[in-house]
Amino acid sequence: MTEIWTQAALWMGLALIATLLAIWMRVATALSEIVIGTVAQLIIGAALGSALLAADASWLKFLAGAGAILLTFLAGAELDPVVFRKQWKQATLIGLVSFAAPFLGCAAIARWLLGWTPEASWLAGIAMSTTSVAVVYAVMLEFGLNTTHYGKVVLAACFITDLATVVGLGLIFAPFTVKTLIFLGAGVLAFVILPWLTPRFFKRFGNRPSELEAKYLMFCLFGLGALATWAESEAVLPAYLIGMVLAGTVGKDHALIRRLRTLTFGLLTPFYFIRAGSLVSLPALIAAPAAFLVLLAAKMVTKIAGVYPVTRALRSPRQEGMYTTLLMSTGLTFGTISALFGLSHQIVTQAQYSALVAAVVGSAVVPTLIANAFFLPRHLLSQRAAGEATHAEPAAQTDALARRNP
Amino acid sequence: MTHRILLGYDGSDSANDALGFATNLARAFAAELHVLAVARPPELGDDVETSALIEHSRRQYDQVLQSARGRLAHEAFKMQFAVAVGHPAEQIVRYAEANRIDHIVVGHRGHTLFERWLIGSVARQVIAYAHCAVTVVRRPPP
Repeated sequence: MTEIWTQAALWMGLALIATLLAIWMRVATALSEIVIGTVAQLIIGAALGSALLAADASWLKFLAGAGAILLTFLAGAELDPVVFRKQWKQATLIGLVSFAAPFLGCAAIARWLLGWTPEASWLAGIAMSTTSVAVVYAVMLEFGLNTTHYGKVVLAACFITDLATVVGLGLIFAPFTVKTLIFLGAGVLAFVILPWLTPRFFKRFGNRPSELEAKYLMFCLFGLGALATWAESEAVLPAYLIGMVLAGTVGKDHALIRRLRTLTFGLLTPFYFIRAGSLVSLPALIAAPAAFLVLLAAKMVTKIAGVYPVTRALRSPRQEGMYTTLLMSTGLTFGTISALFGLSHQIVTQAQYSALVAAVVGSAVVPTLIANAFFLPRHLLSQRAAGEATHAEPAAQTDALARRNP
Repeated sequence: MTHRILLGYDGSDSANDALGFATNLARAFAAELHVLAVARPPELGDDVETSALIEHSRRQYDQVLQSARGRLAHEAFKMQFAVAVGHPAEQIVRYAEANRIDHIVVGHRGHTLFERWLIGSVARQVIAYAHCAVTVVRRPPP
């Protein structure tokens, strides 16, 4: 056990450094963990041997995999079912465009420009198609758009994009055997039963220090995850769907979500993202940077081509439309999950994986920098100068806790 | 004439200095004081963590504003408290325009080099884009 505890201490030390770096630089911890994983593998691997990090140890793979599953569940649980039900037609259209444009565009570029195999190209398309719902949500709050029709449609569309990504990841590479049918059947059954059973079960037995809710959810997630991998699909697919179907019940229990976040961010996801970073080969990336740059550019161009016209069609002012579009180009979590799925299933080589992760990390950084540099806060002035009437309520009023002094 | 004053407030020492200045200003002009805190998502965000951070910041700023309310409890002038989400400078300017603020008061605090490079100083951006007078309250030297 000494060896395991030593490795665990090393990984948690790296996670601590990554978190401090994230706080200092005001960036997502996942981003900093991927970078720290890459750098640590390079330095520790070169100085002391790659065996010390033990990125392929089974206990570490379990923690990392559980992190991906819980993170995906939490992402799905952020859905607002009421809004989604109201806006699903428009949201589905935009969400599918936002998925299909980069998916098909990046897959085509990987296949015909970079010369990747068809499977690797499809995977590149999936990894590049994602959108970070939470990042877009933050933008909507900033503009006070979260309560407008436009904001609600765009947010619901982001869920559709991510749903298309996980469905694509879960089914494109599945062999479609009897096992697949059993998995899909069990999945459908679970998605019908869980929204009915879960709130009743929690009401009867929950809200105790024994954390029954967390155990119940992890039982469902790991169980369906096992079924998914048995059917040669991907465990994050049922996790995201469970999150979505439980969004109206579990997702509204803020205390439970906070406790799950503590477990996920405190223990599990550091292993996932540092491991994902440690599998990146910097020498391969430096030797052939074209793939990374081409994929990053392709993702941004295809997202803009797909999403920006839709934001304009929804009568979003030009600057806000472009800002929203650029922010919809970020997608660290599902991009990394897709890339790691490809590597672990030998769909992509390590060099291709490195290019994909670098492009995913780049897509979390570059569009945001461009958006901040060119659309914040100058849009306020140009909006005023152009006399464009924004349809947004003032953000501070939307979210205000406006109180009068008694 | 100053009718409405906006204070950008985050509970820091410099913001508390600015609170004292804005209070004096509101007393002198018998103006309405708006106190705005801005919960800030990460500059480069990601799923789940960004929403967790926004939720955490909002709770934190609710408490920060409660403390400011306590300090202003005995004042006679009108006041309003609000929490916005986003880039602080942008939200302050936006709030000021929406609420016809005559005078903005902000504190001044240091930033990391990365933050300066990425978004610049909040005070500097408020000065650059505000439609009204802006006072930046600096901490007196020790």
